[in-house]
Amino acid sequence: MQTPTAEYRKTDFRRPKELFKGLDAGVYALIGMYKRRSTTASKLLVEAERIDDLAPQYKDLSNHQLQQRLFELREKFRRGMRDETDALLHSLAAIREAADRQIGLRPFVVQLMGALALYRGYLAEMATGEGKTLTACLTGVLWAWSRKPCHVITVNDYLVQRDADWLGPVYRFCGVRVGVVTALMPPDERRKGYACDITYATSKEVVADFLRDCLKVMSIRNPTRRLIRSLLARSNVETAGDLVMRGLHSAIVDEADSVLIDEAVTPLIIATLRPNDTLREAVLKAHEISLPFEPSVDYTVNLRYKEVELTSAGREKLERLCAQLPGLWRGPLRRSELIKQALTAREFYHQGKQYVVLDGKVVIVDEFTGRQMPQRTWREGMHQAIEAKEGLPLTDPNETIARISFQRYFRLYRRLAGMTGTASEAAGEFWQIYGLPVVQIPTNKPCIRARYPDRVFGHEEEKWTAVVEEIERLHAIGRPVLVGTRSVIASELLAQRLDARGLPFKVLNAVRHQEEAVVVALAGEKGHITIATNMAGRGTDIKLGAGVAAMGGLHVIATERHESGRVDRQLFGRCARQGDPGSAQAFVSVEDELIRRYLPGPMQRQLAAAVRAGLPGADKLAHVAFAHAQRTAQRIAFKMRKNVLRTDDWLDESLSFATSETGG
Amino acid sequence: MRDGPATFSESWYRVAGQRICLRHSVRVHRQYYRGERWYVLQDPLRNQFFRLRPAAYEFVARLSPNKTVEQVWKECLDRFPDQAPGQEAVIQLLAQLYHANLLQYDLATDAAQLFKRYQKTRQRELKARLLNIMFMRIPLLDPDDFLVRAMPLVRWLISPIGAVLWLVVVGLGLKQAADNFQSLWQQAQGVIAPENLFLLYVALVILKTIHEFGHAFFCRRFGGEVHVMGVLFMIFTPIPYMDATSAWGFRERWKRVLVGIAGILVEVFVAALAAIVWAHTGPGVVHSLAYNMMFIASVSTLVFNLNPLLRFDGYYILSDLLGIPNLSQRAMATLRYFAEKYLYGLKKEENPANTTKEALWLAAYGIASGIYRVIVFGGILLLVADRFLLLGILMAAVCAVAWVAVPTGRLIMYLASSPRLDRHRMRAVVVTAALAAVVIVPLEVVPFPYHFRAPGIVRSAEWTEVRNETAGVFNRILAKPGTRVVDGQPLIELVNEELDLQLAAAKARQAEVQARIRQALQEAVPNLAPLTNLAQAVAMEIRRVENDRSNLVVRARQSGLWVAPGIEQNLGRWVGRGAELGLLIEPVSFHFHAIVRQEDGDRLFASSLKKAQVRLRGSVGTPIDSLSLTIIPADQQNLPSPALGWLGGGPIATALDDRQGIHATEPFFEVRASLQNTAQCPLLHGESGRIRFDLPSEPLLPRWIRSLRQLLQKRYQL
Repeated sequence: MQTPTAEYRKTDFRRPKELFKGLDAGVYALIGMYKRRSTTASKLLVEAERIDDLAPQYKDLSNHQLQQRLFELREKFRRGMRDETDALLHSLAAIREAADRQIGLRPFVVQLMGALALYRGYLAEMATGEGKTLTACLTGVLWAWSRKPCHVITVNDYLVQRDADWLGPVYRFCGVRVGVVTALMPPDERRKGYACDITYATSKEVVADFLRDCLKVMSIRNPTRRLIRSLLARSNVETAGDLVMRGLHSAIVDEADSVLIDEAVTPLIIATLRPNDTLREAVLKAHEISLPFEPSVDYTVNLRYKEVELTSAGREKLERLCAQLPGLWRGPLRRSELIKQALTAREFYHQGKQYVVLDGKVVIVDEFTGRQMPQRTWREGMHQAIEAKEGLPLTDPNETIARISFQRYFRLYRRLAGMTGTASEAAGEFWQIYGLPVVQIPTNKPCIRARYPDRVFGHEEEKWTAVVEEIERLHAIGRPVLVGTRSVIASELLAQRLDARGLPFKVLNAVRHQEEAVVVALAGEKGHITIATNMAGRGTDIKLGAGVAAMGGLHVIATERHESGRVDRQLFGRCARQGDPGSAQAFVSVEDELIRRYLPGPMQRQLAAAVRAGLPGADKLAHVAFAHAQRTAQRIAFKMRKNVLRTDDWLDESLSFATSETGG
Repeated sequence: MRDGPATFSESWYRVAGQRICLRHSVRVHRQYYRGERWYVLQDPLRNQFFRLRPAAYEFVARLSPNKTVEQVWKECLDRFPDQAPGQEAVIQLLAQLYHANLLQYDLATDAAQLFKRYQKTRQRELKARLLNIMFMRIPLLDPDDFLVRAMPLVRWLISPIGAVLWLVVVGLGLKQAADNFQSLWQQAQGVIAPENLFLLYVALVILKTIHEFGHAFFCRRFGGEVHVMGVLFMIFTPIPYMDATSAWGFRERWKRVLVGIAGILVEVFVAALAAIVWAHTGPGVVHSLAYNMMFIASVSTLVFNLNPLLRFDGYYILSDLLGIPNLSQRAMATLRYFAEKYLYGLKKEENPANTTKEALWLAAYGIASGIYRVIVFGGILLLVADRFLLLGILMAAVCAVAWVAVPTGRLIMYLASSPRLDRHRMRAVVVTAALAAVVIVPLEVVPFPYHFRAPGIVRSAEWTEVRNETAGVFNRILAKPGTRVVDGQPLIELVNEELDLQLAAAKARQAEVQARIRQALQEAVPNLAPLTNLAQAVAMEIRRVENDRSNLVVRARQSGLWVAPGIEQNLGRWVGRGAELGLLIEPVSFHFHAIVRQEDGDRLFASSLKKAQVRLRGSVGTPIDSLSLTIIPADQQNLPSPALGWLGGGPIATALDDRQGIHATEPFFEVRASLQNTAQCPLLHGESGRIRFDLPSEPLLPRWIRSLRQLLQKRYQL
């Protein structure tokens, strides 16, 4: 039955506050630091141990009795309680028992801690391999009991399906219906998925569904207004009947750093193609005009901010070339904008790195994951400029109908919690943008990962040679090696080198999740060499093969430092899970992109000279330089994300005479 | 980053399909500024203005409910391909119009959003009000109705006839003022006397009310509406104000200027009337009131109203005359642009001024008004602090927050986090820090030569005064001052005719008594004894008078240098008995008695003096080095000579009730500097001059801080 409340909730979500500014921001940051204080974790631990103490009460119950008990607790949660601690602890104890009986996994005390942290709206930092999936399940049951929509967000469709299937018995035993939403589902199935108490899905799917729903109700997105209208019209079925979701309430985000930070500003766009002749002609002309422009004569290139700047010679040339042109080309601003776009396409977008050409089409390659994104296009004009550069027929630009960034979307949940292996580096951002305080959950067993100091090389070539030698050396003694690369191209280059040495290896590019998960799972077998981009096979455990532990476990080689220290840590976290032995080392060179982009020129030269001359202390200097470059990169990135959010907020407010992206 | 808004925008879809247009009530005025066409949109409901460039206006004017934004944009692009705004510019424009409440649209607005906006505006207004506490406005009434009804009575005045009348009356007023300039000037001394303050305030309120009505009637006369009247707390003094901003919509510049200057015109007119009244009344309330009105109309008009450096009438008039609207903001923006471009190296900023000439105007205005503001407000602050300590401190605190803390904080925030500086932050921080260092470091570190001066008087080490023992008229100088005289040498001759008469009278009596004695010898012997006594008395009288007469020639009592500065002025004057006529000194050694203020005293005691130089009045060009200094380490209050006090024309304040004029209001230290008499500059006893003490060099900042603390301590005993 559709109650008015359910009807209301369909388009109901939190209205996020604007980001604080000035002194307010400072105070807010202080509150965040207080919330992240170390005693939070110890308090959680005390509670988790109390749950552990409750275990005997549930141990001896029959399945039926346990379920009875769970249902009682469920009613409590559904009604909403004033003093919930006691019921909460009992519930977790009961769910733990249920998990033990249904899937044979008994959550550890640290997982209970994690569940409590999630329930209280923290971002739980749990090391990889500590059972985040099961932790999310514990909290998921609690939240799903309220029957308000609860989404569990994972990284890819494979994990969505796997987790839902794996944990399904636990949920069902606790009286919770589980649904999944994956990429290729038709709307009906999606609706079914969302209708369940708890829904597993990827961030892309939920955001896309949200946008599509928004488009369906258009101007009557405001729940109050919609409800009043439907009551007046006495036809509440037609108004929101074909919506897929039932509103946004709670969400648990797995791999929160990747979803909420790394991909946060990528907007999800619903678009239609529409011919735009003006644009097409302008772009073609711009490409034609840009041909005689020469770098550092007519324009300069700024690597750090990825932009080109015309020199005065370039401006004169442009004026000369445009003298005879009509329309758009007459205004000096307009024409320099178009020409810069063409030059940017030339300088910063390279085939094989940012995109590939497939069947006469430009296909974007995600630089981090190395995945091809046939659905994605660059912003208006840029995509066409690249097509013009490649001499391909220009596609029609996408016309946006609806658009929202992940960042903004996840701020709409009333209850948000997250888990990830690496969060503390971005704790400030999690708090400022999402109001998520980070809490560190200790590992179940002490971690015995050996982290060797970085090896620094003066030239990239030397680095790769050293990497191959190291792989060969380890392979000779039979230790499994996992090599992390920054881009698909890098992993392919490494593959060629290994081929040349006749070493057996597997390459993962985060394209086919399911198969890659299997490969990654086997990466811990004796003598295996696995090359993976950063995102490949995330969420899958690497178990050590027989006898590998004795050799020292899995060894991880990072072939470059990432812009964010978090991603480095993710990679290193692949080894030495759950108390296994393991080691990790990074190979870096002073010619790495990180250094080139984020270290000031003079410092770059100094560093390169020091490293190449093999001066004593050069390693330490390089260490400092890399740390500095990473900090700079992250600061720039955070600032950019914050600005995107501010701009979006401003637009939303300023254009509220038009339709806004989140409704209202 | 791009320069200028981009042609294509990712957010275009949000406005592309909208059917919006300007509100019906919005009025559009075309104006020219510095030869450029602008369009001014006016929201008559809230009396707000919005200026658009022609290209933007072409777009806005085409908006209609029959077309989508996309269609309008395309249309513009077809028509003005080179000037039409890009998508991003359109979005910004629409957002601004929406914020200014000028748009009409279909969608029922989100009430929560509107409310949030309203609250934000309120908050901003409150903040502005607090920061501008010295000129706080509180709106009270809507005078428009009254103005419309009263217009028939006033209309004929705002016309050429009015102008002629104005000229006549003001001319008459000026004549009266010129005729009575002497008494006008005299009365000005007493204007800020406490007993006049009330009248002054009454005059102020009357005048300013008339002034404001002047603006309002002119504005109304040209069709502008005036809806707000209220109270402006200018430095906590409530005076009326009116909001005649709707005049900004007038197309003709002269109308805008006229509305701006109307207040002053009316005020001057009233002042002229007041001058006539003042000249034709005797002392009394009406007379004083009229005077005060004249005073305010002239002073306040010059210092405040007509002065474009503060944001009063003169500012708006100037801004209209120059054809640069928002003069003040744009001046600031220009200064900022110059700073960013030349100091911080930002290259992509757009110059807020359109031409070099305009930029110069703006920059000059910005700097001048900044300096003027500091001076005026600083003056006001000191004045208020002098009279009302608590209020002064309060105001100083508010001003310190508004003009020092807030701008500094903003500067730091700007340097730390402004996205404009993203690529130049390092340079910006370094340049700013360097500039601050250039200003502060020399002040704090580099020692500056340090000296201070004190007034004083020269005295000979040994001296005696020359006084007359008999009163008389100064007749002749017998010995030239400046020469050596010997004991008994006549110096000055006085004349006293009364003494001559007295002598003649006494001699006559003596003759009479002699005659009577002779008569008594013959006729009545018993009368002889008293007569003899009388004769003796008369003889004594004669001796006395003769003695006095001989004393009319003043003689030196000892030998020495005869000094009598300015004695020639006394020729022909009556000199009472015992007056100091001059000195006899031994011109071997002299002392300079310097009067050192307490504030300077501690420096005298604390630091070792390098040297002291005395410059005497009249021979400033030849400083005399002092040989040695003796500081008398106790504060005194009696001046060594009345010549140093106010009564004697000296620089030191003396107590009002002290007739002699030697009792100083503040205690001081006396410093004696011994001087050597030299050939080029013969020292004279009683000469006044200044002594300059050279102290070891010291940086300026600590010095200023000490002065400030001393000022506070002295004034407020803090």
